Amino acid sequence: MGRLSGFLVTLRQYGKKVTTEFPKEKAPRPARRHGRHVLNRYEDGMEKCIGCELCAGVCPARCIYVRGADNPPDQPVSPGERYGFVYEINYLRCIHCDLCVEACPTEAITETKLFEFSFTNRNDAIYTKDELLVGDDGRARRLPWELWLGGEDDDTSEWMRVTSPSGDASYEGRVSWSGELGFGVRPPEKGQAQD
Amino acid sequence: MKPVGMCRMCLVEVEGVRGFPPACTTPVTDGMVVRTRTDAVEKIQEGVLEFLLINHPLDCPVCDRGGECPLQDQTLAFGPGESRFVEEKRHYEKPIPLSNMILLDRERCIQCARCTRFAEEIAGDPLIDFVSRGDRTQVLNFAEQPFESYFSGNTVQICPVGALLARHYRFKARPWDLATAETSCTTCSVHCRGAVQSSSNRIVRLLGVDLDPVNHGWLCDKGRYGIDWVHADDRVREPHLRVGGELREVSWPEALDAAAGEIRKVLRMHGPGAIAVLGGARGTNEDAYAWARLAKGVIGTDHVDCQMGDGLPAEVVLGVRRAEIDDCDRAGAIVVLGPDPREEVPVLFLRLRRAAKDLGVPLFDCTPVGGSLAPYAAHVARRVPGEPVGADVVELAARTARERGGPLVVVAGRPSVAEAPDATVRSIAAFGALDGVDVRVLSALRRGNVHGALEMGLAPGFLPGRVTLDAGREWFTQRWGGVPAGRGLDADGILRAAAEGRVHVLVLLGADPLLDHPDALLARRALEGVPFVVAVDAFRSESAARADVFLPCTVWGEQNGTVTNLEGRVQRVARRVAPEGTAMDDWRIASELAYRLGADFDLATVDEVTDEIAAVAPAALGATAALVRRARDGVVLPLREHLGEIVVRTRGLSILAEEGAGTSWDPIRAGGAAPAGAPAASGEPAPRTRRRRPVPARTRRRPRTRSSTRTPRASAPPTRPRCTSGTVRQAGPPRPRVTRTLCAS
Amino acid sequence: MGLDAIPHNFLTARLEDLVRWGRRNSVFPATFGLACCAIEMMATGAAHYDLARFGMEVFRASPRQADLMIVAGRVSQKMAPVLRQVYDQMVEPKWVISMGVCASSGGMFNNYAIVQGVDQVVPVDVYVPGCPPGPETLMHGILTLHDRIRTGELLRRRAERRGGAGIRLEGEPVPIS
Repeated sequence: MGRLSGFLVTLRQYGKKVTTEFPKEKAPRPARRHGRHVLNRYEDGMEKCIGCELCAGVCPARCIYVRGADNPPDQPVSPGERYGFVYEINYLRCIHCDLCVEACPTEAITETKLFEFSFTNRNDAIYTKDELLVGDDGRARRLPWELWLGGEDDDTSEWMRVTSPSGDASYEGRVSWSGELGFGVRPPEKGQAQD
Repeated sequence: MKPVGMCRMCLVEVEGVRGFPPACTTPVTDGMVVRTRTDAVEKIQEGVLEFLLINHPLDCPVCDRGGECPLQDQTLAFGPGESRFVEEKRHYEKPIPLSNMILLDRERCIQCARCTRFAEEIAGDPLIDFVSRGDRTQVLNFAEQPFESYFSGNTVQICPVGALLARHYRFKARPWDLATAETSCTTCSVHCRGAVQSSSNRIVRLLGVDLDPVNHGWLCDKGRYGIDWVHADDRVREPHLRVGGELREVSWPEALDAAAGEIRKVLRMHGPGAIAVLGGARGTNEDAYAWARLAKGVIGTDHVDCQMGDGLPAEVVLGVRRAEIDDCDRAGAIVVLGPDPREEVPVLFLRLRRAAKDLGVPLFDCTPVGGSLAPYAAHVARRVPGEPVGADVVELAARTARERGGPLVVVAGRPSVAEAPDATVRSIAAFGALDGVDVRVLSALRRGNVHGALEMGLAPGFLPGRVTLDAGREWFTQRWGGVPAGRGLDADGILRAAAEGRVHVLVLLGADPLLDHPDALLARRALEGVPFVVAVDAFRSESAARADVFLPCTVWGEQNGTVTNLEGRVQRVARRVAPEGTAMDDWRIASELAYRLGADFDLATVDEVTDEIAAVAPAALGATAALVRRARDGVVLPLREHLGEIVVRTRGLSILAEEGAGTSWDPIRAGGAAPAGAPAASGEPAPRTRRRRPVPARTRRRPRTRSSTRTPRASAPPTRPRCTSGTVRQAGPPRPRVTRTLCAS
Repeated sequence: MGLDAIPHNFLTARLEDLVRWGRRNSVFPATFGLACCAIEMMATGAAHYDLARFGMEVFRASPRQADLMIVAGRVSQKMAPVLRQVYDQMVEPKWVISMGVCASSGGMFNNYAIVQGVDQVVPVDVYVPGCPPGPETLMHGILTLHDRIRTGELLRRRAERRGGAGIRLEGEPVPIS
């Protein structure tokens, strides 16, 4: 064979399909992928966001703008006295670092695995609360300019249900998060210690 | 406030003492050995914090204090990592209103009693107190009696948790996204130091900053919560010009050209006497200076008044020996002639109350109708409205002051607009005529920067730096190119002349004579009689709505500069937000107009205006922007007298007291157009306008001062040489900057 | 480019469709990788995502042969004039994709050194979010652009503006001599 053996490498690849036919299919998503955000709701339909602006404070790209307001007493938007009155994320600044998800005290904001979207002008890139909030089925709103092929919002921010408070291993696997509209209290994910 | 040891976070170990006494209530004794970080003390602190947190809810994310909360900080520093408390916390109805402005969240209260102690000890309004016992202890107002104190906002600021909340600031922003600038509140003329904070280019709150000589960290509610107008919807954001009977939005050049064109036309046809300027007490010193220079130096009119016929004559305010607020604390006696300080200059009331109640200074309440100070007065001598203080009271006050040893501080303002200022002026004169007593007058004129405007010459017969027209004629002619020929009219006179049709252009600098002048009928006739009104304002007030040219100006929070308070203290105000619309600083509007009238002020930044004032205005000589910026407590005018009091913020500053005025800032000469009695009232020797001997530049340099140490008071006031080199800016063509720097150093 | 000069009628309308179809299927990107986004851009061109399926596999090293500039990465103030020069050298019709948040808005580099949005320098047709955008996100942006080319919106805009950069010639050009 000699010098021709190198061509074997090429020949062995022949007939294998490696290309993802993108618009028709997507490559497999990792479980902890960071994509477009959603604002979650409690099982009774109330918003989880309390407008505390911790996400805006921690955001390194300053892409989140939140303003809180007094909950209307007769028709509260969220439990407690304060709710997120304005919630906007500028996706032309967001770097999907998930620090907002970590900072959120009520697990209101999490990230889906959807990452296929683009805009033709800057204003479109600012998602408002209406666009971010999950629908009545607990699923993210599928906006016309995004490419949803299904499954992207099954386990939003899975990794949040793996990590433990203060890095204490004894908390791993213990449920310390609230239920979500459409899903209930999600089970703990497999922790790193069991890997 | 006295220490009470309520929170018990400061328990320490003292050698030889059984138990752990709280540090705040334990006086230091000789040879005392205190340990603050032993294991036992740390365990105790942890335990105390755990107790404090037992009933404290974990709603930090929605709490307005979250992020700047002392309890949070303490917990982070000394607290236990985890809570052992699994029981139900106590529950109350979430915020209940204590008053229109203050909300109370009783769940968060840790019973430190700061608010109740402030209300009782500092403000003198004991309207809130503890009720119930044990874990049900809570702060409440009395039934049917809301917590309506003028100083209630301070309790929100000193509350260590988010129990007391301001309705005004509720949920507006979080502490970590606030941008802060230190500034002075200019709601009244006390100029309390504060920190203005903004979020997303909107001013959201004002916090008190502790400035020893002025406000001790307190603010009144008027100043603290009266800040929303900066972003009000009815702010005028663009210049307007009257076209065909109605104000229409135009560009700046159009509006400025129209105003300057009319001024030029009137100057040519009727002379400078047909142009009058009213107002200017709401801007900064730089605004007032630029307008004074425009009116007096360029246009040449002396019909300029920053008061609206509701103050005191400028001769009195500028001519008498002025007191500082701190003088009240060490005074032999305090006499209050003027208005009720709590209504007009609220934080001065706190200082007067402290002097009278806590420091035992005898206070003579000589106001005609009495008011908030009466309970603390040693002597109440009601005078008949319109009559001066009786000779017996004057004598008694003088005797008291002599006996106690200390200055006699006379707080003088206008008790009401119904009575003429004569009674006050004559009373001041009576005190001024006293022998053997150091009489000092604390002006209680209330309008924002009225003292700064007076100092900058926005008053008939005056030029910047407390000099009269005559005294400063030569000096200012040299610098400005001209000064008015004779003394002009005050606000009353201007309005009367306008009603008679003798004023052809009236400039309103944030003035609303229809609303503000005591004689509304006269103001109405005046505005109807003036063919051309230029309004420089932020709002379309009743008077400004009649303007032919409306020039929107920046307001507090949008402009940098300096302001002068009622004791003559010059402090910086800071810009925190971008101006609304295309509003311009007043001083810039003035220099634009001057440019169109053929005079180039050559002022590009606000610091250049401050420096020009420091080089030109005799009383403010040397008060440069750099000095005011670095002086911790501001500088008190006249600067030469108060140089020794300046506390410099940073190391390594050499204060270059620029000198060179050929005129004198010294009290104004008796006689002239001053009202009878006023000049004599100052009780001062005749003014010295003599020229002083020049001194070598080396002696003018002040020694380097260390931060927070007071430099010794200058033994003798430095003398002023005649200005020969370029240390003072000329009004003529711009000079190269390098030269000036070289000359100055 | 004589197309804009031809009077518009039903014959030319079909011709226009043909031209658009041609343009859409042969977009040639110019190489303008500036930072980490360029790695993803390369991945997009490689076998796993295979831009060749859209006729875009050849990244042109010469701007004169390219009609799409993918600004991949943060644009520093110093790079901005270079970027603009490359854009100016490209032939009409030309398009720009701003890839990633740094190119689109400065992203987390909110400082003096980085241009806060490449649309301050060149006109951007499609913004692709992400830090960096994955190959699929970039391809979504490319498909958005294809769609725009096909529906002809861009052509109309270019025609109105006489050139993508908004440059207008006033008066007759004067020969340099």
